[in-house]
Amino acid sequence: MTTFALDTATPDPALALVGPDGIIAEAWLGRTSGGGRRVLESAHHLLAMAGISVDALDEVVVGVGPGGFTGIRIGIATALGLGQALAIPVHGASTLEALALGAAVARRSSDELVAPVIDARRRQVFAAVYAVEGEGHLHEVLAPAAWDPDDLARALDGHAPVVMAGDGADLVPPCSGCRRAAPGPLDRVRAADLVARVRAGGPLPVAPEYLRLPDAEENRLRREREAAAT
Amino acid sequence: MSDLVLAIETSCDETAAAVVEGRVIRSNVIASQADLHAVYGGVVPEVAARHHLTTVNAVVDEALDRAGVDLVEVDRIAVTRRPGLIGALLVGVATAKALAYAARKDLVMADHLHGHVAACWLDPVALDPPFVALTASGGHTRLDLVEDYAHPVLLGQTLDDAAGEAIDKGARLLGIPYPGGPGLEALAAQGDPTTYDFPVGLRSRGPDDLDFSYAGVKTALLYATRELGDDGVADHRADLAASYQEAIVRPLADRLMRAADSAGVPAVSIGGGVAANGRLRALVQEGAERRGLRVAIPDRALCTDNAAMIAAAAHFTPAIAWPAFVGEDAMATAPPGGIAA
Ligand SMILES: [Zn+2]
Repeated sequence: MTTFALDTATPDPALALVGPDGIIAEAWLGRTSGGGRRVLESAHHLLAMAGISVDALDEVVVGVGPGGFTGIRIGIATALGLGQALAIPVHGASTLEALALGAAVARRSSDELVAPVIDARRRQVFAAVYAVEGEGHLHEVLAPAAWDPDDLARALDGHAPVVMAGDGADLVPPCSGCRRAAPGPLDRVRAADLVARVRAGGPLPVAPEYLRLPDAEENRLRREREAAAT
Repeated sequence: MSDLVLAIETSCDETAAAVVEGRVIRSNVIASQADLHAVYGGVVPEVAARHHLTTVNAVVDEALDRAGVDLVEVDRIAVTRRPGLIGALLVGVATAKALAYAARKDLVMADHLHGHVAACWLDPVALDPPFVALTASGGHTRLDLVEDYAHPVLLGQTLDDAAGEAIDKGARLLGIPYPGGPGLEALAAQGDPTTYDFPVGLRSRGPDDLDFSYAGVKTALLYATRELGDDGVADHRADLAASYQEAIVRPLADRLMRAADSAGVPAVSIGGGVAANGRLRALVQEGAERRGLRVAIPDRALCTDNAAMIAAAAHFTPAIAWPAFVGEDAMATAPPGGIAA
């Protein structure tokens, strides 16, 4: 069983090949990669490096977000295209949950909660809070949502102690009960953690977790509400 | 040589896939999003991109199914790389690259505008060069000289709005819901096109100029409706529609004929969504008859955005061998001069 995993929802896209005995190879595209546009190129190099033919893949696991809309779509389109051509299953996994597994390693005590935080632009962050319950297992304390960073800091205070991970953590103002995981490998999405989440918690549907409506739809609904109010 | 192409097109608001063998269309599947965008009064890029992603794999499956073809039998995969809405293009490009990579097929990165021109190459139109092609839609308005399908040469193009865009905007001013083309045409049929003298863009530029401009006519309609007031507009809607439509489609037909005259070609073609306009067709037929030119107009499904035309363009575009295409990317804009094979 060889699984190809990819996540292009964050500005630090990640991919991995995972076999029955663990990670075979993994890579990150680097921060200048433009929404994961080069993910297939990296996948090709990763497969070549590992000496695995694309036809030998048994399954694809893809991060469905939240994160950058374009990046999410490139990841899912790539995963579904591979799955369609190879006639193999494609599973979804939450980008925030994968990030949470990294943060879990950075915990100082087992009762410390983890808060994966992804920069959502426009002074917002996508975040959730989880309790860690053993290998790959998470219990959702606060559901994934788009937050104002100040509101998130207040919410995290109520769940202290919490350790944050992800590029959005830098946008959250200091709060007494929360701290940030040291920048480094635990602070970025690791594609193999998507596979860990699927194994532990079951797959998610392969559908984007945008957590935000298109602007045009947001504006249309606001106009409708305003019209209804007058 | 077998030449079975699976093509994918997602540059705007149609999710499309087709299987084409040589000049023969084996299947041409189009999932239109027009209804989704109607509530916004125009195509919303983020809404389009989201919808392409949820639809594209099923559309590809259906294209293969209807053609009775398995992906392994396909010789090449083609996809629209540009120009268009970047978020929308990226869905098609990522899908096509992954399909081609996993199925070990060569990939053709095709140009959408090349597709509109190459649609005439397909059966049953099967037009052979040389000819002058008019492409007019909500996104583009241009004339190309086609002496060779691989390298259409740009003769003229719109300097501002596209013809279809001008039609949609005018329709909106007259209270016709988006997309306004069919409604405007129906209303115009009941009116007199000579009632209002709306300005024809770039009229002052002289007979050799083959560019278009539609910003002025739209503004003129806006002023006319303001001057008439709501009641006046209600009384004169049909005449306004007819005069406005005339100001948009007559320059298309005139410049197409002028281009055909100076290029000395025996045929002209019209494509793009505006090619469905009956008044444009009549004017082109009329002008062509006088000159003894053949007029090629592909079926409506081949004029509006579709993937069969991308397969046709792919026939004249070098394929990128497996796996060298893995680093290929979508592009929002075409290079200067337009079509590049
Ligand atoms: Zn088009």
